[in-house]
Order: sequence, then C-alpha cells, then structure tokens
Amino acid sequence: MSTYAFIVGGVLPGIAALTFIIGMTYRFRVWSRTVQPGKMTLFPASDNTIKAVLAEAVFFPGLFRGDRVLWMFAWIFHATLALVFLGHLRVFTGLVDRILAAMGLSADAIAAMSNTVGGIAGVVLLATGIMLLIRRVTLQRAKEISGLPDFFALLLIIAIILTGNMMRFGPHFELEQTRVWARSLITFSPAVPQNGLFLTHALLAIVLIMYIPFSKILHFGGIFFTQSLIKRR
Amino acid sequence: MSNKEKVENAVAAINKGPKALKLYMEICAKCGTCASVCPVYYGSPEKKFNPSVRSDLIRAVYKKQCTHSGKILGKLAGAREFDERELEQWVEDFYSCTGCRRCATYCPFGIDNSVITRKGRAILNTLGLTPEVMKKVVEISLKTGNTDGASPKAFMAAIEFLEEEMRDEHGVDIKVPVDVEGADYFYVPPSGDVLVNIEATTGVAKVFHALGMSDRWTMSSKCFDGANYGLFTGDDNSMKEDNKMYVEEAKRLRIKTMLMGECGHAHRIMKFMMEPGKWWGDLPFTITNCLQWTAEHIRAGRLQFDKSKNSMPVTYHDPCNFGRSCNIVEEPRIILHATCMDFREMHPNRGENWCCGGGAGLSAMDTIHEFRMEVTGKKKMEQIRATGAKYVAAACSNCKRQLIQLMEYHKEDIAVGGVHDMLSRSILIDGKAAEHVDYEHQAVETSSQ
Ligand code: SF4
Ligand code: SF4
Repeated sequence: MSTYAFIVGGVLPGIAALTFIIGMTYRFRVWSRTVQPGKMTLFPASDNTIKAVLAEAVFFPGLFRGDRVLWMFAWIFHATLALVFLGHLRVFTGLVDRILAAMGLSADAIAAMSNTVGGIAGVVLLATGIMLLIRRVTLQRAKEISGLPDFFALLLIIAIILTGNMMRFGPHFELEQTRVWARSLITFSPAVPQNGLFLTHALLAIVLIMYIPFSKILHFGGIFFTQSLIKRR
Repeated sequence: MSNKEKVENAVAAINKGPKALKLYMEICAKCGTCASVCPVYYGSPEKKFNPSVRSDLIRAVYKKQCTHSGKILGKLAGAREFDERELEQWVEDFYSCTGCRRCATYCPFGIDNSVITRKGRAILNTLGLTPEVMKKVVEISLKTGNTDGASPKAFMAAIEFLEEEMRDEHGVDIKVPVDVEGADYFYVPPSGDVLVNIEATTGVAKVFHALGMSDRWTMSSKCFDGANYGLFTGDDNSMKEDNKMYVEEAKRLRIKTMLMGECGHAHRIMKFMMEPGKWWGDLPFTITNCLQWTAEHIRAGRLQFDKSKNSMPVTYHDPCNFGRSCNIVEEPRIILHATCMDFREMHPNRGENWCCGGGAGLSAMDTIHEFRMEVTGKKKMEQIRATGAKYVAAACSNCKRQLIQLMEYHKEDIAVGGVHDMLSRSILIDGKAAEHVDYEHQAVETSSQ
C-alpha cells in the first residue's frame, strides 16, 4: 500500500472523526450552556415549538416565503445531500441493504435501485451546487456578502460531488471494496482501496468533515438553537 | 482604555452570551435572504444596507477575537482587526436598521439582525457615540418621566383640554381620572397620544365611560409615556431605570392592571421583557394592552358604534413591535372592523408586514429625514398607496410620526392616526356618536422639544 493511500485511507479518517466529534460536542455544549436572558419570540409562533423548529429544519418554510428561487435550489441541494449521506451509510454498513432485502428485494434489484437513485442524486447535487455557486457570484445581494470561507465551503463540496460522480460514471469501481475498508477501519487494520479517484474523493471528504466544526457549515446544528430561540413562546 | 480596546472587549464578551448573539456570530450562511426582505435594502440596494454586511461589522471583530480560524487565518476566515476609524461607519450603519425583525422571519436560521444592531448601538453608547437626538430623548425621559419633557402641569392642562373636547363632542362629562390611588386600571399611553394626537386617549376614555367604568381607571401625572428609548440606544441600564419609574408608580397607585397604550415598543418592554424577565420580581398587577382590552369588550357586544362616522377607506399598519414581537394583530382589526365602514388590509400584513421605516427610534431622528422618506419608508409608501385608503391606522407613536412625514413628503392626501381614534369618532355615548372636531389644528403646545 502506498504511504499516500495509507495516510488518506488509514490515518486521516480516525483524525477526522475525532475532530468532528470533539468539535461538534464542544460546540453543542457551549451553545446549550450559553445564557439567554429574556425571551425573543417572533410571532406568529406555534404552540408546538419542537414541531415548528423541526419543520423549519426539514422544509425551510421561512426561506420558502422569503426567497422562493433560493428555496428551490437550497432545499433540493440539502435534501439530496441527506439522501446521498444515507446512500454512503448503505455502502459502508450494508444495513440498508438488509432492510431492503428483508422487504423482499433481490440483490440485483437493490444494486439497480442504488445505481439509479445514486446516479440521479449525484447529478442533481452537482447541478444545484453549481447553481448555488452561480447565484453567489452573480446575484448582487449574495455576492456582496460572500467571502473566501463561503466559496471555499461550496467549492469543496462541489469537488467532492464531482469526484463521487466520476467514480460512479467513470471506470468501474467495486463498491464492495469500501465496505471492506470501512470494516477494516474499526479493527485498526486498514485495507485501503488502491484507486486514485477514490482516494481523492475520500481526502476531500475528510477535509470537509474536519472543517465543519470551524466553519459556517455549523449551521446544520445551529439552526435548532437559533430557531428555537425565536419560536419558543 | 482606548476605544479600540473597549470595542474589542465588548465584542469578545459575546463569547459568553447572550446565546442568540453568539450563534449569530457563528452560523450565518451568507445566503442574502435577509437583504431581500429588509425594508432598508429594498429602499436602496446598496452594500452597506445589506443586513449581513451590517452585522459583519461586529461579526468580523468577533471572529478575530474569539475564533481560532479567525486568529490564525484572519481575512481568509472573514475576520478583521478592528480599526477605530470604522466607528463613524458604525454609527451610520447601526442607525440605519429599523430593528423591525423582518429578516428573522425569513432567514432560514431565524437570525435576528436587530439583535446585532442593538449590540452595536450598545457599544457605541458606552463610547458616548449615540446620536445626539437619541441621547437627549433618553436624558429627558429619565429626568421627567416622559420623552417630551412635559411637566405634570402641562400634562394636567392637556387632560383638561381633552375633557373639554369630549364635552363638546358628546355634551356629557367624560372623565379622565388622574393620580387616583386604588383604581383598577392604570393607562400608560405614549405621551404623544395625550399631548399631540389626543384621539387615541379620548377613545380609551370613552370606552371606560360607555362601560360605566369611569371611576375604575386612572392616569398618572408623572408617568404618562410608555416610550422607552433605552431599547433603541441599546442601553439596558437606562431602559430599566425608565421602566422602573412606571412599575413603582403602578405599585404606589395600587392598581390591578397596567393598561398599555398604542405604543408597540412600550408594550414589548413591559409585557415581553420586564414581566417574564422578572426585572423587579413578582408584580402585584397584570399587564395588558388597550387594544386587547377594547377588542374584548367589542367581542362581548358591550360597545355600539355609528360606522358612518368613518366612511373613508381605512387600512391598518401593523407596527413591527405589536405584530412580530407581541402578537397583537387581530385586536386592532376587530376594533377597526367595528368602527369603520370600509376597512382594507394592506399586503403582506400581520407578522409579515413591512416596517414603516421609522423603527428602532429612527422616526425621531430628523437628521436622517430624507433617508427615512426615500429609503426606509419606500416600501411602506407603496403598500399604503396600493390599498387606496384615505386613513392609515397605526397603533404606535413612532410609526405615526414616520407615516405622517411620509404622506407629507410624498404629497399624499392620506390621514394617519391611531386605532382608538376611529373608535373615538364613532362610539355611541348615550346613543349618539361625536360631532367630529379636527384636532390636528388644535393640539396643545405642551412639548418642550
Ligand atoms: S438570511 Fe440569515 S443566514 Fe442568510 S445572510 Fe441573512 S442572516 Fe445570514
Ligand atoms: S431588523 Fe429590519 S431593518 Fe434591520 S436588518 Fe432586519 S429587516 Fe433590515
């Protein structure tokens, strides 16, 4: 195994996971412990705060009313991202497969479904990601507030999507390898797939995972805190 | 300590809270949605009016002071070293947000940029950089108990005038009790509703009279102005000091209910900040608003009106503090539907209404008159025009001042007043409505400003 592959596939995943878990735990703890004197309810507010906050986190209704075009891109982008995340879990753990198999789907059917859904998701994600980028450079009100961190986060995610798509649509890559790899990580005896594209994809994803606790991508956790502040009666 | 250090320390303190502010520093996704719903940016889409740009004045310093990435990467992480020369920009920018909270309604994360604005103003206040007008209003208010600097004597003169007017209108004595200990209700209007546009107060007095409750309420000759500019300058101390006078007076008068007047921010401070925040512990009285109180009596069918007295098209402007911050939206409509023949909604309304352009104290600042007329009030003017209304009811003295100026500036023949004004003109006292008097040209000159 090359040193590069060993570092990317054997060493960094552990560091990234630790950074992410410690970083996020730290953030959440600090956030929940920081004092908030007084209320700041924003009306109309529903009686069921938890439901309202969850709805906001899943469907972005506020954004829907505020900027419909952005809502469309942002919602499709995030929803697909969530789907792709589940897809990766499936590849790594086989858990979803077992559930689907229990529902009576054959292995071939599952693979075909994964190919179709995953393929479409990859394309949609790339398209909406690029739309968000275009919006950021062309729309005045977004352009004038965009800084390097905003472009970095978006470009990084687009690069990850791109390499992921290349793996799917390029020369055949046996997904089973990644399942072996994921299992090998837990037993501390890394078996890293020797595939340039895979390694690039993994490296970029690792950078993203480590970057999250220090960046505005924190918003995926922060939203629950900020939304409950204004939705709490 | 230099100003630079003071600013940096104040910003660094955000690390310890409040929670909202700290999160706002860390999670803004820079999506620009707030800009598309902000009345200021709508009026003039310049970079400096973009809410996120304004908030970055503080956010960039926070990143420099409190985040690792900001300390190490500096500009690359959106961090900036604070430069004292920016302070002038701070004053201008933080006093060009109307604190309307509309951004928070639509921001995917509910980021309330007005909280950041208020923090910025609070910092400016500690440096003595609060604009003169605002400083003066706070000073006068703490000294005299009202933002107009009117004496108890001037107040009594105004009350006499008010009672005389009502006698002319209805031919009967309609009382405005003052300084009565042990009354049930303590009415706290904005001073403008006593000294300048008296009809909101005559309206409330007539409701009490019609209900046969004339001897159950009181006003105070020392505390007749709920307005509290500490909310606008960001200075919690003066806000609380001002507020304390009113709570003490309520206790002294041994009243049961504090009846707040048509003033959005005053009601917000009493009902949504002081009371739940327990600034002065448990209170021996409850707090409600005259809009809620009157609406309840209308709902119960206890009041009768002659709508034909208000035949012109009337619309309602939801003051941001009543709508988004206090959820008082249906009550003024109940009153207007009951008292006007042709009530029309403007769109959007209620929690989604656009700010008049004079929020967060801006309407008191004549130094930015043109800015308020051309920029912050632009959307409001369009909204009002679209209704075709000839009278805009706004339950707020600040909104009223801004709207009246807007109509003058844009040469629109549209009257502006309160909600109880419409009630005052149409309520039946002994089966008869008032003979309408044009108060605008008769207002007593009691203001020392
Ligand atoms: S809408 Fe919210 S997240 Fe978007 S730029 Fe404005 S404050 Fe930031
Ligand atoms: S509070 Fe109102 S004026 Fe201030 S940034 Fe938000 S939308 Fe704009």
